[in-house]
Amino acid sequence: MVNYATAAVDQASVMRGLVSKKRVPLGSEIYNRILETLYDEAAALDERRFDDWIALLADDLVYTAPVRVTRSGPNKDRDVMRTMMHFDDTYQSILMRTGRLSKSAWAEDPPSRTRRFVTNVRVAECDIAEEYEVSSYLYVERSRFDVPHNETISAERRDIWRRGDGAYKLAKREIIVDQSTLGMSNFAIFL
Amino acid sequence: MLQKSSFTLSDGSTLDDLIKRDTNEVSLRVMNDEELYKLEMERIFAKTWLLLGHETEIPKSGDFVVRDMGEDQVIVARDRSGEIHVSLNVCPHRGMKVCTAEAGNAQVHRCIYHGWAFRADGSFIGAPIEKEQMHGNIRQKEELGLKKARVHLYGGLIFATWNIDGPSFDEFLGDSKFYFDQLFCRTDNGLEMLGPPQRFILPCNWKIPAEQSASDGFHTLTLHRSLMEGGIMGGTPESIYDNAPGMYGVDVSCEQGHSLRCLEAAQTFKMFSDISFEGKSVEERLQMLPPPGITKELIPQLFKNLSPEQVEQLATIPPQVGGMFPNVLVLFIFAPRTDGGSSGALALHTYVPRGPDKVEFINFVFAEKDAPEQVKRDMLQNTIQQAGTSGVIEQDDADTWPQIMRNSRGVVSKTVTLKYQALHGHERPEGWHGGGLLYPGFTKDDTQWNWWMAYYNLMAEA
Repeated sequence: MVNYATAAVDQASVMRGLVSKKRVPLGSEIYNRILETLYDEAAALDERRFDDWIALLADDLVYTAPVRVTRSGPNKDRDVMRTMMHFDDTYQSILMRTGRLSKSAWAEDPPSRTRRFVTNVRVAECDIAEEYEVSSYLYVERSRFDVPHNETISAERRDIWRRGDGAYKLAKREIIVDQSTLGMSNFAIFL
Repeated sequence: MLQKSSFTLSDGSTLDDLIKRDTNEVSLRVMNDEELYKLEMERIFAKTWLLLGHETEIPKSGDFVVRDMGEDQVIVARDRSGEIHVSLNVCPHRGMKVCTAEAGNAQVHRCIYHGWAFRADGSFIGAPIEKEQMHGNIRQKEELGLKKARVHLYGGLIFATWNIDGPSFDEFLGDSKFYFDQLFCRTDNGLEMLGPPQRFILPCNWKIPAEQSASDGFHTLTLHRSLMEGGIMGGTPESIYDNAPGMYGVDVSCEQGHSLRCLEAAQTFKMFSDISFEGKSVEERLQMLPPPGITKELIPQLFKNLSPEQVEQLATIPPQVGGMFPNVLVLFIFAPRTDGGSSGALALHTYVPRGPDKVEFINFVFAEKDAPEQVKRDMLQNTIQQAGTSGVIEQDDADTWPQIMRNSRGVVSKTVTLKYQALHGHERPEGWHGGGLLYPGFTKDDTQWNWWMAYYNLMAEA
């Protein structure tokens, strides 16, 4: 249920950035491999190599994008509303989405030309071995048809990447978009 | 009706030039015209009932949300007595927004500019430094409240209008009430909005999505072809143009411009194609396949809240998609899940004008308040995956409408007419209980033309 009251606000709605205090330093082997994976992921999505992207996803993936609501006063920082989302997906539903993109999905046929910029990457160790919390900033430029004006979106991503068989897989992603009213006409692209 | 007074645009066009009632055509230029847009704001958005939200969004005293009636922003707030008020979010002192947040809780709304303060019911409390009487001595405090709209709650949905002495809400609903009751007024505790709405902007005129909401079933076949490819809707991708079972049902409508597509589950959705209601009682049908959003434990409540005729329809051929004039889409669908289950998806959208060439798409998602928590969770996920920002159905709509808008700018293109000439004509199916204008069989243009006639009638009234 929606609860805008001053009292009893879900504390989780404040949560941003990294939770764990065990930082993985910039330039370390783990940091570098994770950064490389984020770049590979962005390239796979920009180049519409969805099979390559799926290969980076864990089969217990939780993929969400809560809505933001402009708030004031004592609740001004509690603006991530996890009771409603723009994405609310699992590995199975992502497969449904990519499967659709290979058929009559006019929202991406002809496809958008996209450019994903991934920056401000911070990594920390999770309590579970081989799992890493990864927070990054995402900026996407999206060109549709011959429209000379790109649609854009900026967001923070709070991920959990899991290491196994020498590679990292995405186990959890929360996309915290900056707009309460999105300027992008749909999320037929992945963030 | 044919003699109504109207308007003349600066290039000499009249309403009858734009909406050709003899041939059921609408000029594409109506989608892109500054003058017409201004008239629409006055004659439609300042005149008719508009959907703003649901009472479960603001359950407690002082809770408020900020919404829009056309381009006029309003505060929707609950006062200490529990009553819901809709007040213009414009300070009568210097025109500043009184609420700068989109939602919150406050017994007093104090304008951040000079500090004029208002109660949840919009009434003026006072300006700072009471002894200096900064509201002056010309107007009494009673005159200085926020401008208030007329409010009506229907199934918990909050509607408001600036037309204080205009038609009642029941007159506005007309014969469609019989059908909308089956969606909004069927359980003891009603619907619950599951979270704040999704909001996003599309670069197109508000009427492009709004006229589609008037039960354009036909676009589903081609634009939403992926529903058939994905095995969700009946028919196969190879044969959909020869045999399109999902297109058949009963479209219901009324002269107020509202409409709904009533569809049998077995006819529409592949996963239900083996279900046969033949020889089954209403109760048995409900047990076999409850309507979207209804769980088995809620079935007794249907009989309590609806007439036997309404329950029979809901059990057999429930309303699933449609719209409410001028700018509401209704989506109460079975919505099969990727895991093979089906808990339904319940959503309402409003298409709020943001200038002649922009519209805000607001997606409200619901479940029955008394549904089990897990069902609510499933329905939220289901709805988000099908509708709204990332919804696989509505992504395709959101990409199509701006291209119609692009075309409406061409000096030649804008003379093209939109055609509503595939008509069935009103026909009452045997044993049908509800009233209104009825169009059984393959979905055609009748309901959308009724939408345009409702538009015509309001636009013709100065």
